[in-house]
Amino acid sequence: MATSNVDPYGFERTEDFDFESYEEFMKTYLSVLSRRASRWSSDLLMGSKKVSRSQKLKRFIRKGIPSEHRPTIWMQMSGAETRRQQNPNVYRQLLQEKHDPQLVETIKTDIPRTFPDNIYFQDTPSDPQCKRAPLFNVLVALGHKNPSIGYCQGLNFIAGLLLLIVKDEEKVFWLMDTLINNMLPDYYAPDMMGVKIDSEVLGDLVKVRDPQLYAFMESAGAAWSIVCTKWLICVFADVLPIETLLRVWDCLFYEGDKVIFRVGLTLLIHNRDKILRCQHFPQIMSTIKAIVMDEYSLNCHNFLQAIFKEPKRLSRAEIQKLRLHHRAQFSK
Amino acid sequence: MANQGGAQRPNGPQSKICQFKLVLLGESAVGKSSLVLRFVKGQFHEYQESTIGAAFLTQTVCLDDTTVKFEIWDTAGQERYHSLAPMYYRGAQAAIVVYDITNQDTFGRAKTWVRELQRQASPNIVIALAGNKADLANKRMVEYEEAQAYAEENSLLFMETSAKTAMNVNDIFLAIAKKLPKNEQAGQQQSRQRGVDLSQENQPSGGCCK
Repeated sequence: MATSNVDPYGFERTEDFDFESYEEFMKTYLSVLSRRASRWSSDLLMGSKKVSRSQKLKRFIRKGIPSEHRPTIWMQMSGAETRRQQNPNVYRQLLQEKHDPQLVETIKTDIPRTFPDNIYFQDTPSDPQCKRAPLFNVLVALGHKNPSIGYCQGLNFIAGLLLLIVKDEEKVFWLMDTLINNMLPDYYAPDMMGVKIDSEVLGDLVKVRDPQLYAFMESAGAAWSIVCTKWLICVFADVLPIETLLRVWDCLFYEGDKVIFRVGLTLLIHNRDKILRCQHFPQIMSTIKAIVMDEYSLNCHNFLQAIFKEPKRLSRAEIQKLRLHHRAQFSK
Repeated sequence: MANQGGAQRPNGPQSKICQFKLVLLGESAVGKSSLVLRFVKGQFHEYQESTIGAAFLTQTVCLDDTTVKFEIWDTAGQERYHSLAPMYYRGAQAAIVVYDITNQDTFGRAKTWVRELQRQASPNIVIALAGNKADLANKRMVEYEEAQAYAEENSLLFMETSAKTAMNVNDIFLAIAKKLPKNEQAGQQQSRQRGVDLSQENQPSGGCCK
């Protein structure tokens, strides 16, 4: 495979991009991809476009949705497709209605500040593939449909990535609408309570599974929200390597937000020894910044297997209980 | 791209090393991350990615016989991230509050940050006010004199800066480094590793020199 300075999604590779590890990983991953594509056609879809929830589908999704099916499956499984069909003209109407100038201004500022290192997000308005105008539209429509949320920085990265994968801006709008209302409620509200709560929840989940790591982080003064605010707000967009991110989102749109904790726990617990070796807080921060992009995180197929094994059993009830506890703490 | 890391390298082994936590605050898109990128890497990007949560970087400057290591927290500017800010300025020995000289609202926001720091941050925090985007003087909306008078009233360091041209970027960090107390504090005499010893429960909040 030829090495290029731009990846298949349009991201320019940084100077320190590890071509060697990437090539090594792609050598095996390409055969995984082709095997999965053929299994999806012959054993799962069998000519049909529609799929329904089943243990088999869940298993297939955890092993990765082939890229040609990704937009359809994300739309169907998240419930975004139903929303879109029930509201056929809403997106166009939202774009045509009178807009809040302050909201528009805030969004405008962030458009050129979204993936400036991606060729599809550069200032080339005449290029039909340029994603700046669709990004602006999606965020403006989203902010007006959800006035209590408006615009929260971070949504630009999620919408930007969805545009690269799903391509159709109306579909991206409905995926975003589903994400912020159904899957991650309270994350993007002005008080960002959902993010604050889930940061503490992640800490508590670490505590149960790796008390030593938890105690170490606490004694270093490494607040959980310092560690994971961006992870949560961007749902790992602009954090994990892109192939890994897409695999995580495959599970996110089928299984919901639980997978976010699985990823966070795996990153921390798998790398516990590296973290425990840190001498001080700045070193912990640098280590955590490095592990999200290292070989282990890059090797998405193994990583995705690990997130369902490494954090051990994780129940929705456990998460719910911790969320309620921290919500009560914050409202004191 | 210009790549002149502006900061000086550390001195020889005899020099005293001080470590300080510095936080950048200010409205979205005033150039906080760009100032840090210029200071730490000597680079400038016309479009800098929006910062989510906060970014952490370090840079070292030399002052006579002292090496000052800054641990820099570059925070997100959007109003709704405000409630996360105390986590970053808590225990900080220095802050740079940034506004954009072409946007009056960002100066108002900067004043709000200064008030909050005066009320809630460490009492001895060194605060600098940076009027960034000074290269866009033809679009100026905040007068130099107005900002300077405000800075004087509030005992802030003040400079107009340009992350784009590098004007005053190293200077403002150096000015902060000079103003920070570098005396050895009681309880910190014992020899220790650079940085905060994680075995110690109570970390000293002052400058940590050895």
